Amino acid sequence: MDNMGIVITGAGIVSAIGIGKAETLDALREGRTGIAPLHYLKTAHHEFPVGEVKLSDDEMKQRLHIDHEPTTRTVLMGMLAMQEALEEAGLLDCSGLGVALVSGTTVGGMDKSEQFYLDYLSNDTRNDYIRTHDCGATTDLIADRFGIFSMTTSISTACSSAANAIILGANLIRSGQTEIAVVGGSECITKFHLNGFNSLMILDPEQCRPFDATRAGLNLGEGASYIVIETAESARRRGISPIAVLSGYGNACDAFHQTASSDEGEGAFLAMQKALSMARLQPADISYVNAHGTGTPNNDASESRALQRLFGTHMPPVSSTKGLTGHTTSASGSVETTICLLALQHDFIPVNYGFTHPMPDGIVPATVSVPSRPLHHVMCNSFGFGGNDSSIVISAKPY
Amino acid sequence: MEELVLELKKQIIEVLNLEDVQPDDIDNDAPLFGEGLGLDSIDALELIVMMEKSYGIKIKDPSAGKDIFKSVNTMADFVSKNRTK
Amino acid sequence: MSQKVYINAATHISLQQPLSEEWLVSPVMPTQPYQRSQDPNFRDWLNPLQSRRMGKILKRALVTAQKVMLDSGISQPEAVITGTGLGCIENTELFLDQLCREGEEMLKPTYFMQSTHNTISSLIAIQQHCHGYNTTYSHKSVSFDSALLDAFLQLQLGDIKSALVTGNDEMTPSYFSILQRTGYIGQPGQVTASEASAALMLSACRDNALCEVESVTLHSSHSNLQLPPSASLDAVLVGTNGMPLNDRLYHELAGRLANVPILHYKHLFGESYTASGLGAYAAAHLLHRGMAPAFMREDGVDVPLPLHRLLMLNHSDSHNISCLLLCACS
Repeated sequence: MDNMGIVITGAGIVSAIGIGKAETLDALREGRTGIAPLHYLKTAHHEFPVGEVKLSDDEMKQRLHIDHEPTTRTVLMGMLAMQEALEEAGLLDCSGLGVALVSGTTVGGMDKSEQFYLDYLSNDTRNDYIRTHDCGATTDLIADRFGIFSMTTSISTACSSAANAIILGANLIRSGQTEIAVVGGSECITKFHLNGFNSLMILDPEQCRPFDATRAGLNLGEGASYIVIETAESARRRGISPIAVLSGYGNACDAFHQTASSDEGEGAFLAMQKALSMARLQPADISYVNAHGTGTPNNDASESRALQRLFGTHMPPVSSTKGLTGHTTSASGSVETTICLLALQHDFIPVNYGFTHPMPDGIVPATVSVPSRPLHHVMCNSFGFGGNDSSIVISAKPY
Repeated sequence: MEELVLELKKQIIEVLNLEDVQPDDIDNDAPLFGEGLGLDSIDALELIVMMEKSYGIKIKDPSAGKDIFKSVNTMADFVSKNRTK
Repeated sequence: MSQKVYINAATHISLQQPLSEEWLVSPVMPTQPYQRSQDPNFRDWLNPLQSRRMGKILKRALVTAQKVMLDSGISQPEAVITGTGLGCIENTELFLDQLCREGEEMLKPTYFMQSTHNTISSLIAIQQHCHGYNTTYSHKSVSFDSALLDAFLQLQLGDIKSALVTGNDEMTPSYFSILQRTGYIGQPGQVTASEASAALMLSACRDNALCEVESVTLHSSHSNLQLPPSASLDAVLVGTNGMPLNDRLYHELAGRLANVPILHYKHLFGESYTASGLGAYAAAHLLHRGMAPAFMREDGVDVPLPLHRLLMLNHSDSHNISCLLLCACS
């Protein structure tokens, strides 16, 4: 009997390692990174490798059969990912069903605002783009393409946005306000946050190395991913076979510093603990953890400590996939949950790319993709600036 | 050197938005971080930017800031030895 | 059986006298196209060393949060949830401006760090050492409503027993001029474009509550919207702001509620993406007093309106509609 009775019936993803789940799965199994020198973003900072989606805006528009403006890159990626998720869940032609959308983004349409800001201030040539800037506009532009949503909203908690979107979606279902929710997030690379992270000196000019003793920072990525969650009863009624179960989730605040995590990883520990408790699982039940693992000295030390506190001697395989995708910021919670879904469905551990030197007293991440036991319950962590820590547990069905 | 020390104090106050602090309130040898003025890691980053903007000194490693920004005197010493502006 | 939800305390910083319900007796009647909030003396609330990096939106958010924690006696809410339409737009603009005019070197990290939307919720939690649930919504004019919905669901489900819900938006002169180009604000005949900081403490505890929250819902369309029976309502509170395109939907929806008097609030609190937070704040206090002052009545009747149960409607470009049903605790 499912704990909450919430199942996952569709997923879509775009990131540096592929457009769609099939390409993503290939890259994950081969351990092939999508981090490369900057190509699409127009910036002076070519010293930083990044995980860009390997399509220009125009190429994305072509795939989507869109020829109008205004659009933004975050919206275009979101549309691509959502298309795949809705197709799998059989929701493309279903207006009248009552589907909620909760989407995470932080930069929204900043890719256009940073190009046109001085125009916004001085003339009327770019007015059409002004109201594509904010997070809500991004979500609604994605939603409007599909026309199936009975409510929409947006979460903006930096790197945990998409994970928090999953949480609200699940709560809407548990409370009976909706039976079906599409949840996730989208974020494109912008000069704004590339320079922002650079000013905080947390970018690595080399390939990032999560949980490695020599790690020196993160590589920015971009991407979008949405999953469809619904009651088991709704899936049955619609004749859709679930791909996995959403078993539990937790959100807690580190309450330590705006841009750094506490030494003991308190927020992370509490979020993971809540997720386990909601899923009615013990630490030993977790088969794999997809860590937040950004590759910054601070996050990885803090997260490592939190994992040790929670799992003790029952440490499951842990890896960060940000060495493959880069840090997809607001989308990372759903990009990585979808990666966890693929791992669960195909029974493999996505390896921790870039790892060679163990951290002193830290966890040793997984570098072998064959699991020692079948994957049953998988945990996905996303920790945002300001100590917004979220953890999601998904499980193979049935359990 | 005295001129540089005063200039640095004024810059610290301005860049870090220390509204209630006057240059005379900052002791030349007092610790700037932790105790003393109680500055934090973000302030250290701001001072790194200030170093480049005002004196043309690029500090690539943020942890190097610990020694450089120990006190106003250590800052003045570092600036006078490394400035390119 | 779902838990009942109450608003235990509510406060604001806005065009009206800050942190006070003085406006119920002697309101300020704003007339400018654009006006910033009246601020309290921040030094009464915030440590200057800790708040030196903060722009107005952050200072206001911390103060309104502190006030409701004091008023409600709940200093460690189990959730801190914020709604903000534009986030910390002043710091966003400062960073963006530097980026556009000076290039990609020597940018101030503080501007970037303080620009992210979730800075508000995080700082409240850091100030209170609060490890509970923490999140931020940004969905234009239903940002606050989304935050309220999240808190309501969790309280109803019994996942939490208390939640601090805040709505915060600032409006810089430069961003006002940008948005004015789009017709959203600053138009002739429209209420004053302004800012908002509203904080509400919700909990499962009825003692000394201002009012009860019966339901919170969000909708993409008004066509199939189910409203409560007219006979059960004493008033409907709407976000009319003087713009025909905006006001039309409110009048259409209110029109479905035969004989239910209409109240409005944006002529007092101005327009911003989180104005609905100020509406909710006002509604809570109106229900606590059991009446709405005559100057909030759209029908022009110069007598206070007795209130026990109120429906608040809010929409964002006629696209996202929120319904908040509140009743007095008698």
